[in-house]
Amino acid sequence: MAAAPIVVIRDLTKIYRQGDIDVTALAGVSLDITPGEFVVLMGPSGSGKSTLLHIIAGIDQATSGSVKVQGIEVANLNESQLADWRNQNVGFVFQSFNLIPVLTAAENVELPLLLTALNRSERRRQVETALALVGLADRGHHRPDQMSGGQQQRVAIARALVTDPALIVADEPTGNLDAKSASDVLHILQSLSRTAGKTVIMVTHDPKAAVYGTRELHLEKGELVENVSKA
Amino acid sequence: MTLSTFTRLVSLPFRLARLLIWRLLWLCNPLTWIECVTRLWVRWFGLSQHAFVIVNAVRNQRRATLTVLSVAVSCGLLVTVMTLQRELTIPPESESASLRLIARNKVSLAQPLPAKQMPLIEKIPGVVAVSPFTYFGGNFREETITSFAQFAVDPVRFRELIVEGKVTEGDYEDFVRDRTSCFVGKDTMDRYQLKVGDRLKFTGTFYPVDLDLKVAAVYSGTVDDRNVFFHHKLLDELTGDLGTVGTWYVRVASADVANDVITRIDQAFENSSAEVRTETERAFQMSFMSMLGNVKVLTMSISAVVVFTLVLVTVSTMSMAIRERFRELAVLKAIGFQRRELFGFILAESFGLAALGALLGIGGAWLFWSHINLQKLTGGFLIYFEVTPRIMATGGIVAALLGILAAVGPSISVARTSVVEGLKTLD
Repeated sequence: MAAAPIVVIRDLTKIYRQGDIDVTALAGVSLDITPGEFVVLMGPSGSGKSTLLHIIAGIDQATSGSVKVQGIEVANLNESQLADWRNQNVGFVFQSFNLIPVLTAAENVELPLLLTALNRSERRRQVETALALVGLADRGHHRPDQMSGGQQQRVAIARALVTDPALIVADEPTGNLDAKSASDVLHILQSLSRTAGKTVIMVTHDPKAAVYGTRELHLEKGELVENVSKA
Repeated sequence: MTLSTFTRLVSLPFRLARLLIWRLLWLCNPLTWIECVTRLWVRWFGLSQHAFVIVNAVRNQRRATLTVLSVAVSCGLLVTVMTLQRELTIPPESESASLRLIARNKVSLAQPLPAKQMPLIEKIPGVVAVSPFTYFGGNFREETITSFAQFAVDPVRFRELIVEGKVTEGDYEDFVRDRTSCFVGKDTMDRYQLKVGDRLKFTGTFYPVDLDLKVAAVYSGTVDDRNVFFHHKLLDELTGDLGTVGTWYVRVASADVANDVITRIDQAFENSSAEVRTETERAFQMSFMSMLGNVKVLTMSISAVVVFTLVLVTVSTMSMAIRERFRELAVLKAIGFQRRELFGFILAESFGLAALGALLGIGGAWLFWSHINLQKLTGGFLIYFEVTPRIMATGGIVAALLGILAAVGPSISVARTSVVEGLKTLD
């Protein structure tokens, strides 16, 4: 029996208003994502892939349609509930790492845990585990500016998974990296999906990066035009 | 040796000196210590939201330092101006001063009163003592402006008026006996390094006569230990007995009868050629101060300018500090921090910088004004310049309100900006 989908999207529409013009970013997208999948969202610029990712992650709102993550209708949550929900269920990885420059790697990873009820030693243990998972156990005391781009992105991944979320969303995580670092990052995301059972949704332009996913979704003009499963 | 090597060698001492100066400034900066302590705290006890606020507040140390300094200077200035206003508009008050009245000509302080009024005033119930009290307004020695006043009094009657004053040197009886002697405040004796028996020469500015007085006794313990008192008879002799006095200095039996005595004195000379206006010594001093101009409006205007400048500095600094961290704040929102927590971060940062500035500025002003010789610095214009707890608290409240005010704008911007918009902002 197939596992229940972790993400259920139905007739999702997002219309932006730019001046007097309505721009349709997503036009009736429907899809299911099952737990442990590594979904790659591809498509040309302006196709709506980042918008779709943001709505799934609860940092943007749909104009109409439904997005359920782990059975929770994201649109029904108020701002405070949404913030808590994101903290507990979603890990974010951004293209430009977005680490806090004045904090060390370990402190950056610890940041989401400040919102939890964990005590200091539990937080430290989780931070060490997360950093070890991305191969940076020995770089915890380094600041972002003392690390390479690839290492910074790995710290960002550690920050994304430190709260043990079911869903990890990555918006072009390899966009600012060289080939070697990109490969390292993609391997980590793949391993999170395969061995840790995390659901990873990644937006990318790079076909080489898409190879790491278990499913490729192609969007064009806000519509899902291709849904290729590699399993 | 190449030119560049030579240049490098020559500039080496300057570069070393610059490095040393910067290092020293860095070490002397309280923000450096705050950051170091916070970092150690985080290393030992882990990251906390408080520590996060502190490391963010001092991340741009130059800007944070300049902000703290500008708040400190403004708060110091504000406290100084408020203290000045207090000193100029609220003269110090003693218990004895509350029992003393000054009766002056109703037309103007510059108009004299007839000497023959004294017996009538003495007869008014509640009056304990009366003395003529005439401002001489002379310049001491070669001075062009003398900061202490000289008053012509009746020495015998005057003793009953200046009851809180204690004779510290010489003998009051010598003052009473010798018509050319004077009774001098200790502050003036100390300032000019005078001793009993010295002669004081004053050049008249109000009166066309000069004084040559011998110091007979010294007093202290009054609210203003600078004044010089001499015999009214001497002034009468020198001026050809004009039969007038400047004002009447009156002591009443108790504070309860003061208002009644004021009314009675004023009524006694109603419709005469020299109508009198009587008021308490404190009220008289205040009206005298008002002749300097509207001190309150002036100092309030300066205070308002200082506060307004302070608002501009703190608001613009906080706006800049937050604007350049918009993306980071969006990331914090994305990972679960709520608007109220972000508002708390911004408020704490703004408030913290303002509070540190206020602490340095107000504390510095208090230390400065309580340790300098103000009398010497102002040429005797100001003797007391007490930065009271109330003034310090007012300065602190102003700084705290500014800290809060400076956080409001950036907080609203952050609250209004969605995570997606925030992530799109450039670093």
